[in-house]
Amino acid sequence: MNNKYLYELHDVSFSYKLGNLTVPAVQNISLKIKCNSLITLLGPSGSGKSTLINLLGLIEPIQEGDLRLDGKNLNILSEKEKNQIRRNKIGFIFQHFHLIPVLTAEENVAYFLYRQKVPKGEVKEKVEKTLRSVGLWEHRMKKPSELSGGQKQRVAIARALAKDPKVIIADEPTASLDQKTGKEIMELFAWLVKERGVSVIITTHDPMVESYADEKIHMQDGKIVSEVLA
Amino acid sequence: MIFHLAFRNLFRNIRRTVAVLLTVAIGAGALFSFKGFINGILEDYRENTVHSHYGHGQINTLNYRETVYEKPWEHWIDNWYEVDDFLTKQPEVEHVFPRIGFSALLKNGDLSASGQGEGIVAEEEADFFHSLNIVEGESLTTQKNGIILGKGLANALKVQPGDNVLLYVNSAKNKFNKKEFTVTGIFYTGAVDFDNRIFRVQLNDAQSLMKTNSIEKISIGLKEYTDWEKVSQAVEDRFPDLETAPFNELDKVYYQHSIDWLNTQFSVVQVIIIGIVLLGIFNTISTAILERKQEIGNLRANGESSFDVLRLVLTEGFLMGIIGSVLGIGLSFFILMTFLNHGIKMPPGPGLTNEMFISFKFNWKMLFQIFILNFSVVMLATILAGFKTVRMTIAKALRSH
Repeated sequence: MNNKYLYELHDVSFSYKLGNLTVPAVQNISLKIKCNSLITLLGPSGSGKSTLINLLGLIEPIQEGDLRLDGKNLNILSEKEKNQIRRNKIGFIFQHFHLIPVLTAEENVAYFLYRQKVPKGEVKEKVEKTLRSVGLWEHRMKKPSELSGGQKQRVAIARALAKDPKVIIADEPTASLDQKTGKEIMELFAWLVKERGVSVIITTHDPMVESYADEKIHMQDGKIVSEVLA
Repeated sequence: MIFHLAFRNLFRNIRRTVAVLLTVAIGAGALFSFKGFINGILEDYRENTVHSHYGHGQINTLNYRETVYEKPWEHWIDNWYEVDDFLTKQPEVEHVFPRIGFSALLKNGDLSASGQGEGIVAEEEADFFHSLNIVEGESLTTQKNGIILGKGLANALKVQPGDNVLLYVNSAKNKFNKKEFTVTGIFYTGAVDFDNRIFRVQLNDAQSLMKTNSIEKISIGLKEYTDWEKVSQAVEDRFPDLETAPFNELDKVYYQHSIDWLNTQFSVVQVIIIGIVLLGIFNTISTAILERKQEIGNLRANGESSFDVLRLVLTEGFLMGIIGSVLGIGLSFFILMTFLNHGIKMPPGPGLTNEMFISFKFNWKMLFQIFILNFSVVMLATILAGFKTVRMTIAKALRSH
């Protein structure tokens, strides 16, 4: 199904349990996220942006409200179906990269492709294509410990990209990088949206990151306070 | 790919992997060595019992062993030549030893002691009953009117080889009979009760003393002790008025109780070793998994199910279980066969007075059992260590440090 909107949220709420306390993290959010766009989620710590991307990435269960991805209602999915969506439709990028330290850059990218049961020959092609696209083909045999922060994040991007996801969800992807490397990474995200037709949702505090956004969503106290189109 | 990643993960923290492998290897090696030595002891006990006392089993008339008779010779085997002939024709039977047992008063001048005599075909028994340790003189073979005595009995009578001993018995004709014998040798089995009571004379001398042509029992020497059931069944089918008993039943107090005691001891030590291995591995693997919580969160976020992650952790445990067990068993086997191939000197066992060498006895069944046991312990420890972490929510795993 070709949908105009990648995500559709209606009255979504989520709260954490802290002992006997219930802490609302996201409250009554209704939102539509377009396909093929770069969205930034902005807001101070504790504003709920990480919780929101966790909900978008099916990392947290939906407690209240409706959430649709590509027109499909995610509320009713089994754990197995959610795993399949995470495996095939969503790419994740984290602040601390979370690469598998015992595998080379090439193997890190290939791992989830093999787990997607992509044929071996196709895996090789995809790995080469994505590593070349992030400029790391020459470093393919290096393990994460032998790469710089920027290079690690590029491997993480290649890993997410190789899956041919609908959306890449990135939680503070530039926070561990210097300004120059951060810019390079954002250039790469912008290129992915433009050239590969992938949607990218990024949480950030960084004004530099904001400047690349097609849409900026500001959050505070678990609520959306503004949505600004670039 | 899971196998590939699991294998690579073994090299993630070499020190930790070595620690787990050593724990597994030491556990496997300890279980393997201990089981091997227990097997050695059991085999020594069996061979000692068979070759010093009973043979592989014995034939009596029906209910003879369970009943106390005033005149036991009335219940001895009359047709023993027929039985002997039948047994000799069985392919599993190597030796047939007709015997009579009788009580006697032994006298040497003013000294006297009561003893339990065995009339035997000494020449034939000499080779088979090689565990009968002659400490003075020589074994009874063809000497007419010869007698060999247990060391305790010889000490009580103060006799040595060449001395004469007078035997008084209540014969089968219900009359006292006496006969003089010459001590040919003194034996020492290590079993105190046996050494203090038992003496042996030639079967025909004993029959003449007891005034009978019957025999009390027939001991059997087999080619393989495992053939007992077959031979026993054949005898009882052919001679319904006879019954058979294997050596472990004949010597329940010494042999069977020792076996039970050793097996229980092995089970207890086994549980202790398993407990140590389980805790050691659980602790190390738990730490390893906890340190990888974020990575596990990442795997889950990218579509791996908790079962997939558990499979990864179990594959790591599987590899360490296999490598560690093979290493432990292999190294133990090498050490045992190279440096301890002569066995280990041990103090006297239950019911014995002499020191013994225990040797390591290997068999494939034991190797398989120890391998499976040790491997299962590793897998159990891995499951226990990994289960909680892999079931953690993705968000919680990603948030952890």
